[in-house]
Amino acid sequence: MLASTMQKCGATRMNTAWWLVLVIVMSPLPSFAQTPSEPTREAVIEGAQAEKLNDLHPYEPGRMEGLLNRAEDILVNGVPRWHPFFDNAYYGGGFTLGAGYAHHVSPYSMVDVRGSYTVLGYKLLEAEFTSPRLFHRRGSLSVLGGWREATQAAFYGLGMGTALQDRTNFDFQEPYGSTTFTFWPTRRLFMLRGGVELSRWSQREGEGSFPSVDKVYTPTTLPGVGTTTTYVHSQGTVGFDWRTSPGYSRRGGFYGVTLHDYTDHDEKLGFRQVDYEAIQHFPILRESWVISLRGYAQTSYTKDDQQIPFFLLPYVGSGSTMRGFESHRFRDQNRIVAQAEWRIMVNRFIDTAFFFDAGKVTARRADLDFTGLKSDYGFGVRFHGPFGTPLRVDVARSPEGTQLVMSAHAMF
Amino acid sequence: MTRLLLVIGVAAILSRVSSGASPQFYPDDPLAREPESQDASKAQPYFQGSLFEMTTNLFVTADYKPSGHRAQNINTIDEVPDSNWFTNRIGSTRVTVEDLVRGPNAGVPPDPSRWTLMREKTSGSHPGFTARDARGDIWFLEFDPTYFPEGATGAVEVATKIFWALGYNQVESFLTTFDPARVDFDPKATLRRPSGARTRFTKDDMNAVLERVARRPDGTYRVIAGRLLPGKVLGGFQYDGTRPDDPNDIIAHEHRRELRALHVFGAWTNLTDLKASNTLDTLVTENGRTVVKHYLQDVGSTFGMCNDLHEWDLSYEHFYQTGTTLRRLLSFGFALSPWQTIRYVEYPSIGKFEGDRFDPRAWRPQTPTAAYLELRDDDAFWAAQRVAAFTDELIRAAVHTGEYSGPSAEKYLADVLIKRRDKVVRTYLTAVNPIVSPRLEPAGRLTFDNAAFAAGVASGLVTYRASWFRFDNTTGETQPLAQTAGTTTSIDAPRNLPTAPGAFVGVDIAVDSETYASWRRPIRAYFRRGDAQWTLVGFERLPDNTIETPDSTRRERPTR
Repeated sequence: MLASTMQKCGATRMNTAWWLVLVIVMSPLPSFAQTPSEPTREAVIEGAQAEKLNDLHPYEPGRMEGLLNRAEDILVNGVPRWHPFFDNAYYGGGFTLGAGYAHHVSPYSMVDVRGSYTVLGYKLLEAEFTSPRLFHRRGSLSVLGGWREATQAAFYGLGMGTALQDRTNFDFQEPYGSTTFTFWPTRRLFMLRGGVELSRWSQREGEGSFPSVDKVYTPTTLPGVGTTTTYVHSQGTVGFDWRTSPGYSRRGGFYGVTLHDYTDHDEKLGFRQVDYEAIQHFPILRESWVISLRGYAQTSYTKDDQQIPFFLLPYVGSGSTMRGFESHRFRDQNRIVAQAEWRIMVNRFIDTAFFFDAGKVTARRADLDFTGLKSDYGFGVRFHGPFGTPLRVDVARSPEGTQLVMSAHAMF
Repeated sequence: MTRLLLVIGVAAILSRVSSGASPQFYPDDPLAREPESQDASKAQPYFQGSLFEMTTNLFVTADYKPSGHRAQNINTIDEVPDSNWFTNRIGSTRVTVEDLVRGPNAGVPPDPSRWTLMREKTSGSHPGFTARDARGDIWFLEFDPTYFPEGATGAVEVATKIFWALGYNQVESFLTTFDPARVDFDPKATLRRPSGARTRFTKDDMNAVLERVARRPDGTYRVIAGRLLPGKVLGGFQYDGTRPDDPNDIIAHEHRRELRALHVFGAWTNLTDLKASNTLDTLVTENGRTVVKHYLQDVGSTFGMCNDLHEWDLSYEHFYQTGTTLRRLLSFGFALSPWQTIRYVEYPSIGKFEGDRFDPRAWRPQTPTAAYLELRDDDAFWAAQRVAAFTDELIRAAVHTGEYSGPSAEKYLADVLIKRRDKVVRTYLTAVNPIVSPRLEPAGRLTFDNAAFAAGVASGLVTYRASWFRFDNTTGETQPLAQTAGTTTSIDAPRNLPTAPGAFVGVDIAVDSETYASWRRPIRAYFRRGDAQWTLVGFERLPDNTIETPDSTRRERPTR
């Protein structure tokens, strides 16, 4: 019957506990003094409460609490103005650092100015106006303008028969401006997107340790070499999307077709392309495993006697297509990529994944089949939230070596 | 440091007992109500951030080592006195079906003929508004998400009744109707936009909420309306420490039995979201004194109501657990957890809630709290007695208040609650010596009850052994008297019990059971002699500093 004697007097906050020590050990209790002959439990407790009056103070959050409260305020209520930006100008630029500054121009619309720089000197600077809440939350608008430069983008030749040592480098600069409007007629599932872009591509001598593309090819042997071309690029997409979020999903799917038209002002390098994409997530064991599949195909169509510049040819080999190969490892008129991931939920914030990529490029659309595919495999770790994947680290192995992929986006 | 001070404080108190400086039992023991003697009007609002609380609970509190100390707000007979935290209801007094169905509701229900929207609900996982009804009363409206029609609202309604009966302060809640055709917008109503600016709340803002919630065929919406609490809102209470601005709050919250007991009540009802922002302190004036009143404000995360339809691991794992993380990481997910294979009969209005695989000791809230971890077997026993007091009839009556349109869903929820009740009772009433309510008759006969037998969760032949002693309330000294024994819950007392008014005797009662070894640890009861009768003044089911806690790793195993 020991604990009952201390009932209602024991508190573990430091000040209260010190009070307990002082009051009980060192000083006569006020309540005893008032009724020394017959103290009561109630008087003892009331004495303790009266003593606490001497040390009342508002709750003071500690340093860590203050920091996390600030972080929560920014995440939930805040308007992040300065933010990191890890998108680079072009695949293959290497590790990227960047930052952006966002400013709301209305309750929902904002302008984001951002830039990035890679270890290989790729530069990106752009400004985007986004208005995400148009037509009673059915539509969103993006107006984007910017400039980018890739100083040593890779070109290995056309087709699947090229070798790593065939690599040449090219540089391009591109100022661009575009408008994209996305419309969800039913606010979910069915999506329409249309846009137009005006851009000017200037292909220049490549930097780096590999020969420049213009040293190996001529405009005759490789359309687009040394060219400066102004494009009006219009596109339209029809899609069905029932994923929880494009940034992170364990169920649902996306099926979409996009038509592109590149009109060259000089009528030399105009062409059309069609993208076909299908993504499906199959949850297993209550979503602790997910089999995620993605199929992607791109076909190209020339206009009359015009040609497709080499730097806009479909490619495979990158952190989002075939991860075990160098960026833009294979290029040609058409491409097909099939990807499968076995994603494993480690906890609510981390997934791991075994993955397999296969794909190829072809000169003829009729050759877009599942023969002669190159493939890779690997393992990755993804740090995610409910709707986004801020960090993805994949290690991929192919016959041409091992690649480390770090990305601030979900794979698919 | 805090722990050290507690130990020092406890040691100091104990030393005073042994030195005879103060009595173990005061004349007013056992207290029926916890005094709140001081004016608390200086208490200031503080709203703890969810990110800090979740981070702390997952990565700091999760490693908290329970002190093993007895709850510190219990009175000398091991009961929780009434307070501004807790009111003894079921298990202490008779709660009728009518009482339970009425629950905390003292006022009239809202008049839904016209709602005036004041602002959007900003906390919790289910959408809602703050609104005035046609009479001008302010209510917090919460809707059902599309994937849980009747689920979120029903859970609040039913759980509010259950937790009110269990003794917690609850918000008055009513199921009612929201008709978007009969809505006004308060001219002062604003909404914080992504830009940070607050602009006027519009019909489109309302529609943005309504698009995410379950709509009835007639275009109206079922809502649960929670009445605005009286008094000044101070923010949620924390599950450890005390409010530094409330002079009456002198017992660390992790040592309040009613907060520890949420481990048990939470397991029974699957109240998974035990965070501070689901609680609320208010400053109210009662009997001329300003005091802090503590509410379990939101008990809607009960039964199968998850934050998301696909939140399968809820109630089986905290949001983060190092052990399971490593296990899944190293096994690539092949080391399965129970939630991955449980079969649910999943009604949309109930969610993932079942009783067959339910294990009260393995149950986990979203994030652990210090009070949750401090639960001892005697706390759990106390809680299980209250759970046991819910008859089938009471449970079905509480569930009926949820106004589920499908009778099979209502029956299922009640059946699962009954099944889980039985498991809670069987688990915790048998884990420790189950003797309750000892009475010492003037004629010299000791009677008591065996709570496990009374609840029907244990049976068999047992022997009750009583070791009697005199007790000096001033010095704390004991003097053995005799030993008696019997096979029923009524056994002889020694003939030489003192008869002088004010005398004390104590008795340790152990239960010899071939099935339950833990029953051999005796309970200890103290009686004080009055003019002509003995009064129970002390009761201890487990001594202080019992490190054993009702964790899933420690289970009472039958000896045969």
